[in-house]
Amino acid sequence: MVEELLIRNGVVYDPINGVKGEKKDICIRDGKIVEEVKNPKVIDAEGRVVMPGGVDIHAHIAGGKVNSGRLFRPEDGRKGAEPKTKVCRVQSGYSVPNTFATGYRYARMGYTFVMEPAMPPLAARHTHEELIDIPILDNAALPLIDNNWMTMEYVKSGDIDLLAAYIAWMIKATKGYGVKIVNPGGTEAWAWAKNCDLNDAVPYFDVTPAEIVKSLAEANEKFEMPHSIHVHGNMLGHPGNYVVTMKTFDLVKGIRAYRDRPVLHGTHVQFHSYGGTRWGDFESQAKAIADYINSNEHVSIDIGSIILGDTTTMTADGPMEYSLYQITGRKWTNHDVELETGTGITPFLYSGKVSVHTIQWAIGQELALLIKDPWKVALTTDHPNAGPFIGYPILISMLMNKRRRDESAEEMHSAIFDRAELPSIDREYDFYEIAIITRAMAAKTLGLAEHGKGHLGVGADGDVAIYDITPEERDDAGKIQKAFLNAKYTIKGGEIVVKDGEVVAAPQGRTFFVTPECDEKLMDEMLTKLKDTFEHYYSVSFANYPVQDAYVPNPYEIRAPWRS
Amino acid sequence: MVQITDVVCPLCGCVCDDIVVEVEDNRVTKVRGACAVGKSKLMGHGRIKSPAIRENGALKDCSYDEAIKKAAEILAAARRPLLYGWSSTVCEAAKVGVELAEEIGAVIDNTASVCHGPSVLAIQDVGLPSCTLGEVKNRASLIIYWGSNPTSAHGNHMKRYSYISKGYFLPGGKKDRKLVVVDVRETKTAKMADKFLRVEPGKDYLVFSALRAILYGYEDVVPDEVGGVSKKDLLEVASMMKEVQFGIIFFGMGVTHSRGRHNNIVNAIQTTRAAHTHTKFNIMPMRGHYNVAGFNQVCTWETGFPFAVDLSLGYPWYNPGETSSTDLLIRRECDAALIIASDPGAHFPGESVKHLAKIPVIQIDPFPNPTTEFADVVIPTAISGIESEGSVYRMDNIPLRVRKLVDTEYMSDEEVMKRILEEVRAIKAKEGE
Amino acid sequence: MQQISLKLKEEVMKGVARIPIVVDSLTPDKLFGKSESEIKAEKVWWGNRQENTGDLFEVGVDGEAGSASEVKIVLEGDLSRVKYIGAGMTAGEIEANGDVDMHCGAMMRGGKITVHGNADCWAGREMHGGELIIEGDAGANLCAMYRGEITGMTGGKVVVEGDAGECVGQYMAGGEILIKGNADILAGLNMKGGRITIEGNAVMPGADMTGGEIIVKGKVEDMMPSFRFVEVTTLDDGAQYRKYSGDLAMTEKRAKGVLYVKA
Repeated sequence: MVEELLIRNGVVYDPINGVKGEKKDICIRDGKIVEEVKNPKVIDAEGRVVMPGGVDIHAHIAGGKVNSGRLFRPEDGRKGAEPKTKVCRVQSGYSVPNTFATGYRYARMGYTFVMEPAMPPLAARHTHEELIDIPILDNAALPLIDNNWMTMEYVKSGDIDLLAAYIAWMIKATKGYGVKIVNPGGTEAWAWAKNCDLNDAVPYFDVTPAEIVKSLAEANEKFEMPHSIHVHGNMLGHPGNYVVTMKTFDLVKGIRAYRDRPVLHGTHVQFHSYGGTRWGDFESQAKAIADYINSNEHVSIDIGSIILGDTTTMTADGPMEYSLYQITGRKWTNHDVELETGTGITPFLYSGKVSVHTIQWAIGQELALLIKDPWKVALTTDHPNAGPFIGYPILISMLMNKRRRDESAEEMHSAIFDRAELPSIDREYDFYEIAIITRAMAAKTLGLAEHGKGHLGVGADGDVAIYDITPEERDDAGKIQKAFLNAKYTIKGGEIVVKDGEVVAAPQGRTFFVTPECDEKLMDEMLTKLKDTFEHYYSVSFANYPVQDAYVPNPYEIRAPWRS
Repeated sequence: MVQITDVVCPLCGCVCDDIVVEVEDNRVTKVRGACAVGKSKLMGHGRIKSPAIRENGALKDCSYDEAIKKAAEILAAARRPLLYGWSSTVCEAAKVGVELAEEIGAVIDNTASVCHGPSVLAIQDVGLPSCTLGEVKNRASLIIYWGSNPTSAHGNHMKRYSYISKGYFLPGGKKDRKLVVVDVRETKTAKMADKFLRVEPGKDYLVFSALRAILYGYEDVVPDEVGGVSKKDLLEVASMMKEVQFGIIFFGMGVTHSRGRHNNIVNAIQTTRAAHTHTKFNIMPMRGHYNVAGFNQVCTWETGFPFAVDLSLGYPWYNPGETSSTDLLIRRECDAALIIASDPGAHFPGESVKHLAKIPVIQIDPFPNPTTEFADVVIPTAISGIESEGSVYRMDNIPLRVRKLVDTEYMSDEEVMKRILEEVRAIKAKEGE
Repeated sequence: MQQISLKLKEEVMKGVARIPIVVDSLTPDKLFGKSESEIKAEKVWWGNRQENTGDLFEVGVDGEAGSASEVKIVLEGDLSRVKYIGAGMTAGEIEANGDVDMHCGAMMRGGKITVHGNADCWAGREMHGGELIIEGDAGANLCAMYRGEITGMTGGKVVVEGDAGECVGQYMAGGEILIKGNADILAGLNMKGGRITIEGNAVMPGADMTGGEIIVKGKVEDMMPSFRFVEVTTLDDGAQYRKYSGDLAMTEKRAKGVLYVKA
């Protein structure tokens, strides 16, 4: 590794530090951004766009369901199959790439951090084993804590402090990063082939999803957690669900976040912005959601925008995946996880010839374009649910270029003209705003900015992306797409990992995790109940449950003290 | 004497993790909670004492260094090497195996090829509606074992996870559940069943299709007898399936290896999906070895494919029937093989063993077995789960970590694989000069 | 017209191990316009190493071709470990004198392949067009899909003079297959279009079919219990057939497949 690196003549976009396209030197020493360097290797960016390394707030890249997706789709695996090279291991897959391809392709897009958003706690070891095998990227994973029996029992009894002790234990035991919520209550109901809407009582446990969300938000804010609760709300994918979405957001409006960040991060909100009452009258309600976000400060979102083509859907929303399989008749894998959560996986083809898919395609982009403040928005495809992450450059070019959007709309179903907003939106993102929604916002919302991610201020990690495009070329949509797919340079921790779109080094990344600190007495009380649960109902023993240190060989720990 | 609790048993796909073990003078002297077969493994038995290389027909003891070097020479020179086994060792070793396969352009494969490979093929056709074993324990009021006899092959299965276990919603255990067994003969498990269906060998496929037709409401087209099972019995079982709140089918070699093979499993899964239109229904393969699933997991996330991965052309190519070990060997394609943590000598079809015996074979295993009879290089290793720790995956794909209970002088599988890989790279670097 | 003859050298298959050679680079499309020395320098994989075609085959070129459709390749020698003959070809002709290995004609789009012998598994895999004649027997998965795919053959014409192995035409969506001998279990599995004619016997034909047509002129062993008898009818050959619709195990809505069994 080169000790000192100097990037000169780059046009820098560093939103967290208010740098809006300035010609600026970036100095790196020993993997960190520094004020100046003495004897550096020099990269001449030649007027190109320079941004901090990309930070992805939500992509399914590691764990049981991702691997089930790979396993049951050899026909996806054979696409993108590449032999090993001097630097790279073998690669395979398109919507479910192998771990090596995942790291290389993200790095080539200039990304240096990705959050695995849904880790079933009982299988946390699996997520970590895959994260170890993803080259280059720093990473973290969010454990699912909303359909857990312990959670629901504490929600029922109203014991928020004990709930907090439980989530603290879970996050610690799984070496996780925060609280993930997916179809709260509904996935437990799915263990009986049922589902729940926001105010339905979960069978046997007799709590509602609304109560679960609110209680978890309160419990989360008992600690100095870097991230808010991360929510995949009920009724995903159902026409008319935009109402449930806003009601879900309203649940936590009164709760005070511990710091300057939202109380709730709504994920892949495209899937939750649906109007109409059935597929026949399906329409976009992105405007309603955008209006909500525009007038509220307690919620952030990522868009989960569609990429046309074949992909693989996979979520902990068991009932939703089953409905999808019933519509398409394609192969379907389901994996209910005892006392905790579940999984559903099925392939899906998004076609511009189908009215519903066309409107879905419009919705994701509408959210980004109608929400005024880009600091509330992250660009995602809920990889691979709405599409593979390799499609991000297409979305970037769409958001930056109205003509490209219009040309695409012409080739798609005409429903886009009367059941969606997109054709009537003129707004175009600039590079600064793109930098916000592809790195700065995520770093801030995840609480990672002060830990070196998402910006280029002194002390930050030496994670830099140099894209092969100049600000003057901002109107060239094709060039934008090409530039963001294969970076001119990607630098990770001060090391050049990608040059001219090719991976030239593949160092190991670090796994970030949070250690919430909880009062011992509270913890002991919770543990008595938890151990009893293990003894009688789990199929593994309490002692064998927590993730051992061997599974996190490159750790980065963030402490989350109890708020006084 | 030291007592170690929560020991994870390294034998079968149940991966029971509440075993209690006593260790004295660096030996396991007592085992509590394991079934007979698990206990036998944990107590230990005869093993290979030293690395060896075969000279003039007989194995001659040598050092680890010599054996590793010889192994590397064989593998680096091979034009169609096979790296087979993996199911009785930990994931850490498997990872090195994949790396080695990439390095030398080998085929890497595990025992799934002769075991639940057909189940994997079926999953690739229709998916797998399934769950973790704790779900069965807590919710399943109807348990079906189809072509599977857990009393013999998975000793603690019913007690820990299914028919005899007590669960949150089924605190009465057996009293709250019903057991159905489908098999070609009345096994010990069948004798415990509330309903036993005897099916004619090779006819399971037809029985599944008939059940599906009934579950979808087309019983009028189904003949009076299908595959030796009466329509009356089929209707009865279909009713049982429809009426419960949560049912599960466990299936084994009886269906994966009889006529139809992976298509039997496709049909079993389709039957589960048909049942699912009425109520919650899941299905699960009874994986044999304690880490057969683990190898499939590692291989999948690292290459994109679960077993039978051919890396000879550089990129990964997966095609069981073409790239699976038994087929490669029956067709005499391989010119060298590394056999680790498995026993093809005992379990492979005769034709493939015949060819295996003719080519250079490297065996990595703690224990001697029929494969040792013809191996050219033998490298004994530490017993995973007793002498070395590591990552494993249970039959329901739940990851656990097997423990190190005693110290050992033997190298672990992972260490030996790493050394072989190092040597192979050194050989290739030299060739490059 | 140009004829390129490729004769596998004897020593290639003489070893204890019979290591496959992959010849997808040796099609009329890919060899058209190449000189004899260029053909000899074409790389082919023999196991995990790439070799020159000229080192493994005796190469002969006779005549000229104006396009790939005027190129005929004749393969000789022990072809039982020569894989991917004619894979992906769109024009021209290939003749194989002997038994051929797997994936013969896989993904072909046009042109003609004639195998004077048996073909191993996956002959005609994912075929889109063209003609494939196998004078001997065909192994399992003739014209089938690749694992995980829901579409196999979409077009073209295949004739097998002998018997065919299991799962003929799995996930077939179009095209025609004629088996003059017997078909092993599950012919037409998951079929959704096209036609399979079996002049001999079949076992469990048409399982999970949702479209297309299967005609069995011999005997059916183990008829699927989920098919509905429709009527007795006469087909083009003047003979009487029992017509069934299926497979109802896929639900009636999807059971648009037709199975004819000679009465």
